[in-house]
Amino acid sequence: MKENNNRLGWLFASPYLIYSIVFFLIPLVWSFYLSITNWDLIAPDYDIVGFGNFAKALKSPGVHAAFWVTYKFMMIFVPLVVVMSLIVSILVHSLPRFKSLFLIGFFLPYLSSGVVSSLIVKGFLSYNSPINTALRKIGINIDWLGTSWSALLIVGLIMAWKFTGYYALILTSGLESIDHEVYEAAAIDGVTGRQRFWKITLPLLYPALYTTLILAFGVTFGIFTEVYQLTGGGPKFATNTWQMEIYSQAFKNLQAGYASAIALLASVATFISIFIIRKLLEKWGARNGWV
Amino acid sequence: MVGSKRSSKSKLAIRYAIAGVLLLVMVYPYLYMVLNSFADWAQVDRKLIPNSYTLKSYSWLFTGGETGITRPWLGAFLNSVIVSLLSTFLMMMFGVMVAYALSKLKWRGRDTVNNFILFHMFFPAIILLIPSFLIIQKLGWYDTYWALIIPKGVSLWAIFMYTNFFKAVPTVFIEAAKLDGATDFKILYKIMMPMSKSITSVVFLFLLMERWTELLWDMIMVRSDGMLTLNVLLSQMFGPYGTYPGPLYAGSVLLSLPIIILFIIFGKNFQKGMQVSLK
Repeated sequence: MKENNNRLGWLFASPYLIYSIVFFLIPLVWSFYLSITNWDLIAPDYDIVGFGNFAKALKSPGVHAAFWVTYKFMMIFVPLVVVMSLIVSILVHSLPRFKSLFLIGFFLPYLSSGVVSSLIVKGFLSYNSPINTALRKIGINIDWLGTSWSALLIVGLIMAWKFTGYYALILTSGLESIDHEVYEAAAIDGVTGRQRFWKITLPLLYPALYTTLILAFGVTFGIFTEVYQLTGGGPKFATNTWQMEIYSQAFKNLQAGYASAIALLASVATFISIFIIRKLLEKWGARNGWV
Repeated sequence: MVGSKRSSKSKLAIRYAIAGVLLLVMVYPYLYMVLNSFADWAQVDRKLIPNSYTLKSYSWLFTGGETGITRPWLGAFLNSVIVSLLSTFLMMMFGVMVAYALSKLKWRGRDTVNNFILFHMFFPAIILLIPSFLIIQKLGWYDTYWALIIPKGVSLWAIFMYTNFFKAVPTVFIEAAKLDGATDFKILYKIMMPMSKSITSVVFLFLLMERWTELLWDMIMVRSDGMLTLNVLLSQMFGPYGTYPGPLYAGSVLLSLPIIILFIIFGKNFQKGMQVSLK
């Protein structure tokens, strides 16, 4: 019986095991090797250049931009999406009827392709769009995607629009797990409005909030489609994310070796950042006694 | 119950109003897309709600209009359907199989595999992009369906979701079925799968949606016009065809519609499944 299960276990797990060898372990090792070569993605021959790629990457303005854009984007996206989804979830939670109908409606933007949402936003912001025409009448004339600060802001807004409904779903199920009696007991003790939110809702919601925050921080390291469609990383690298930089170097400039080095740097930056963010979030929760 | 006070009725009305307005703001971009896909070309991107409509954008998609260049829309649509459905099917089948092994079978190596999957999950995928491209070339899969389907045939997230869910299924069911002489494959498809209906609709929808809207991978893996997926074709139209916003909106509608229809079909189960999977 036990011997049988041993074989069966490996058999059932084999699709994943084969997949992880071919599409995870081999690529992983290969990318380390590529990162020390000057391969151009096409030519059969290439030389080993040692750590030259890394030295070059550390000095490149595109890489510097990718590093900082991630955190700038984080500052826009994470607060926006978390506050929005909190508002949506608390609002919807307080509705006695049609709760799920509303939630599903808010979830709809998450289903749209980044290509589609980029297209819509580009239309919204085109020179003769109703918004820009109206703004020009009151003397405001902004080239939204051609100006550094607004381009990043726009990408942040699209992403927040997309993820709000999804995170609101997570937060709502967190709210639903809070026992109603807690509120009733607090009401007897005279806990009201704002206090109620900070002293009861937020602490009890913390597990769901933690999940939401981790997911939102995770999103910031993987932005590609919206940036590729709307700005191509510009203007002046203002929206140049890691993925955008790696894609441009590998598949546009055909510097696959160099791009592999950047991908390694990006992975290290992502790994360390997420680790620190997790630790900080856990500390924040623990210090407030929420965990 | 909520709303036992007398003033709460007007409060509730205000809440519904706010929620309604907020919802409209969130969904408006979609409406904008649909309206513009039918709008008279002089009005595309000129009005918040166009007042003159035509089907020109849709017919342009398939005929290429005055440019005479026909874009392979139907082909791309079919490619998207084939690739997304097959990938999703594989991701779910393998997800269920691996999850069953990790949650309900006792075998030497289980903990190792489990830990390895967690390690794999936390690895930034971007590092694998260039070498994966090379592997696809070496396998001779470049510019074929294989490149679009097989590497996207295993989802760590699906394995993770199913493993967590299966762990909660009482072992009694399995033991009883075993006494009746059922094989593990039978248990998997006759007991585990039906029991996980609600979570399956969540996993299915998320996987399909993600596969359907994937850009970077599909863009890199294929070259010829006949192999493009709908999302990539639309993305390409951004550039040289950017002067035809009407057809772009029509294409966007074609791209969005299937997912929204599926979402509406699975809506009820989805809500339930989300709650289960978030616990």
